Amino acid sequence: MRRKLGRTLALILTPALGVAGLLALVLHPQAPPARSASQWTGLPPPAASGFVVPAPHELAALRGASRWAPVRSSVLARAAPGPRAHPVAAVSTQTPEGTTNILELLGPARVGRTGLWQRVRLAVLPNGTSAWVPRSALGGSVVLDTHLLVDRAHLHMSLFRDGKRVFSAPIGIGQPQSPTPAGDFYVRNVLSRYRSATYGPIAFGTSARSPTLTDWPAGGYVGIHGTNQPNLIPGRISHGCIRLRNADMLRLAALMPVGTPITVQ
Amino acid sequence: MVDGGALPPALAAVDRDGALAEAAANAAAGGSELRRASRPTRRGLIGLGAGAAGLGFAGRARAAAGSTTGSQQDIGILNYALSLEYLQASFYSEAERLHSLHGALADQARIVGGHERAHVSAFQKVLGSQAIKRPTFNFQGVTEDPDGFRRTAVAFEDLAVEAYKYQAPRLQSQAFLAAAIAIHSVEARHAAWIRRLAGVLPAATAFDQPLPPRRVEALVASTHFVVAAPDMASHQAPKFTG
Repeated sequence: MRRKLGRTLALILTPALGVAGLLALVLHPQAPPARSASQWTGLPPPAASGFVVPAPHELAALRGASRWAPVRSSVLARAAPGPRAHPVAAVSTQTPEGTTNILELLGPARVGRTGLWQRVRLAVLPNGTSAWVPRSALGGSVVLDTHLLVDRAHLHMSLFRDGKRVFSAPIGIGQPQSPTPAGDFYVRNVLSRYRSATYGPIAFGTSARSPTLTDWPAGGYVGIHGTNQPNLIPGRISHGCIRLRNADMLRLAALMPVGTPITVQ
Repeated sequence: MVDGGALPPALAAVDRDGALAEAAANAAAGGSELRRASRPTRRGLIGLGAGAAGLGFAGRARAAAGSTTGSQQDIGILNYALSLEYLQASFYSEAERLHSLHGALADQARIVGGHERAHVSAFQKVLGSQAIKRPTFNFQGVTEDPDGFRRTAVAFEDLAVEAYKYQAPRLQSQAFLAAAIAIHSVEARHAAWIRRLAGVLPAATAFDQPLPPRRVEALVASTHFVVAAPDMASHQAPKFTG
């Protein structure tokens, strides 16, 4: 059977190869039988590439990604996406600490008759207020995969990156008469190299505000900072700020970028 | 690309303050007028660069096109290419992260973004410590709106093709030239792809024209996509509730 198949193939292929060879002679009568492509054309070999472009870099899927953007021009935040909607709060370009004011972006921008509008989380009382601002008032958005969780019941905080816990520490929170507010907030700025042992070496400003200390200088914003009384941590000891031992604060500062969303529960 | 004083629709869409149209009109009239026309936007860009991460499209462009010799000139050209790749990679990455695109446009952004990020990595690797830093971008909503994305992507891809075309013959190293040509043809494929998605003829002419750095600079400056980085750190004593 196998021998028969071989004979059949030979009968078909022999004339076919002969025709192909004849065609090659007709088309390239002076072609030498075995030479490299570069010799064929008389061209030099190609230059080696100076660097190699790697395979395409796909964006990693981020769990719990959030976005923020700086405020580029002072603007009135409104209850709905449009210039005639009820004004909710004035948003300035700077924080009380003199840094660029940033806003957490909530959901996608919406295309309206007057351009793009973006819903944002505001750093105003009552805590948890959101409103709409024209996209044109904001700068480029930044995506983060960090999230800080503050657990008031257990006097403990954890920082997550891409859904994985990367930091945890005991904390001090507000006393009963000046509680640390619950809700969703974000880190607005970072202060360092100041002269105040009370706040430790580094302090993060947040969008949370004390609902009780409304006459506090600079608006009564809640910070996350170090301390000169580490023995009081963990405890309910502050005016609303979240205190950490200084060593923990330094570790957190190395891991948590400005803009990180915060959940206080 | 902007010869004859008239901007293609794709470029006009990103020419927010008319600087590019003005530069294009003056280009038709003469080089010195082009230089005068683009001076304000260039100065603005340089000012932002000094205050921020220091993109220096302008400075790099001049280094690339200038009279520096040997590897210095090649480093200038590679950094110039890197700054364009930063622009493109950041643009596509932001669009993909925002999930603002769908269907064929989303596929284009994802795949082309992967290429542009790979180009950035390649330039950063070959330049090492001499690589310029990534600037801060504000794409002003064009990554959040399919129409705006489409128009800007066409402009960016055309820009990359023409900028590479201008600089590649100026590379002194044959090895870098080989690599640059490998990227240039991919940018041309990107340009054809997005042009088709935008309903623009993918190959409009038989011969492409190179785009000199001053014109690239004027285009990028006119978009105001390159901005100063926000300042989010301070040494002021905290006044938080404590």
